[in-house]
Amino acid sequence: MRTVRTTEEMRALGAEIAELLRAGDLMVLTGPLGAGKTTLVQGIAEGLKVRGPITSPTFVIARVHPSLSGGPALVHADAYRIGGSLEVDDLDLDASLADSVTVVEWGEGLVEGLADDRLEVVIERDAEGEDRRVRLRGVGERWSDVPASLG
Amino acid sequence: MSGRDEPIVLGIETSCDETGVGLVRGHTLLANTIASSMEEHARFGGVVPEVASRAHLEAMAPTVESALDKAGLRFSDIDAVAVTAGPGLAGALLVGVAAAKAYALGLGVPLYGVNHLAAHVAVDQLEHGPLPKPSIALLVSGGHSSLLLVPDVAQDVISLGSTVDDAAGEAFDKVARVLGLPFPGGPHIDRSATSGSGTAIAFPRGKYDDGTLDFSFSGLKTAVARWVEARTAAGETVPVADVAASFQEAVVDVLTRKALQACRRYDVKDLLIGGGVAANSRLRALAQERCDAAGVRLRVPRPGLCTDNGAMVAALGSELVAAGIRPSALDIPADSSLPITAVHV
Repeated sequence: MRTVRTTEEMRALGAEIAELLRAGDLMVLTGPLGAGKTTLVQGIAEGLKVRGPITSPTFVIARVHPSLSGGPALVHADAYRIGGSLEVDDLDLDASLADSVTVVEWGEGLVEGLADDRLEVVIERDAEGEDRRVRLRGVGERWSDVPASLG
Repeated sequence: MSGRDEPIVLGIETSCDETGVGLVRGHTLLANTIASSMEEHARFGGVVPEVASRAHLEAMAPTVESALDKAGLRFSDIDAVAVTAGPGLAGALLVGVAAAKAYALGLGVPLYGVNHLAAHVAVDQLEHGPLPKPSIALLVSGGHSSLLLVPDVAQDVISLGSTVDDAAGEAFDKVARVLGLPFPGGPHIDRSATSGSGTAIAFPRGKYDDGTLDFSFSGLKTAVARWVEARTAAGETVPVADVAASFQEAVVDVLTRKALQACRRYDVKDLLIGGGVAANSRLRALAQERCDAAGVRLRVPRPGLCTDNGAMVAALGSELVAAGIRPSALDIPADSSLPITAVHV
């Protein structure tokens, strides 16, 4: 578990997580409104060196951010408006998930069918103050050893 | 060209939930017909992309026919077809673009693929006549929050700023959910706010004094959520009307402040506000107040033309035809992230 105090720290954590990510990975972000999910994705995008800006994908459901450095693209999806479970076809993307890193906000309980292996990130807010507690949990073989420094 | 000699343009809009079809002659609105998949989404408790695309597909031909009926026209009266080519939901856009190509090809008339945001600007000409050149446009909806400098809506639209996180309408929807108000949040917050005080709670105004023309509504949304949570946790009743009014005041304060800053910075005396959030009564009132104080003329289309519709697409198409712009190729793609620099494709 990691305690994050500022938006800068949330971005830095995103960049740190980005170092673990490779093409084909799926990440599911869970946390209440204003927890800092999009901020974390901004850090991941910086780490992956993909084209920004990273803004909320709620309205368009998903956005593809192509790599600026020859690496995988970032698919930033948001299931907030989605009713029922999310399927790959629903994302309607001009990108192959196998060639991209896919991060889904509000995806808990909806996107598990997208991949057997996934990295789950849960962000909780303190009842008091602005601190966030960030928990990482790897599911499947790909994530059999989430680095202790992060998990 | 004037009056009955002007070409009749069919406009098709499918960038999100609404299937919109409009018919326009010059700056005259002949028909504006809308079918929405919102009710179907409500049944599923949210948007289902496949349902949205299928709903567009099913609604397309009947909506076009109903628009022609309303205008008292036949297919053979159509002189050009315009369609939203982007930005928007990829699968939804695709349906409109494919339909527009088929109509253009079948009728043997030119096709114009247009930008959704520029269409939101052009539509005002149907109500208030030619747009002064240049104008400043503030476009605020569920998916967009942009400030544009518009030297010429048919060929030259420049982005001055946009949201760095959430769109204004999205903040309305999310705050409404926090307050237990139904979707879409905008009208409900507007209504609830009338019995509350806009100064009851000092919510933060993102990027208020940062010198840019960008917006940020994520911090505000978070602050409202936290404020409501704290009251709920303390076992207190949440003063919904005051929260709605104070939140709404923070949003419209920033929107109008930056819009007027843009007018000053570019020495422009005409401001247009469009997009679904332009229907908000407090935004209209504060914008009018601040425009009057600054000697800026304000134009806001009526609500039915502010939300997504086909007439706006036809209006921009009509502008392109009048300006002698070359039609689009029949193989234009739908572009979900079409930049505003591309008024037409």
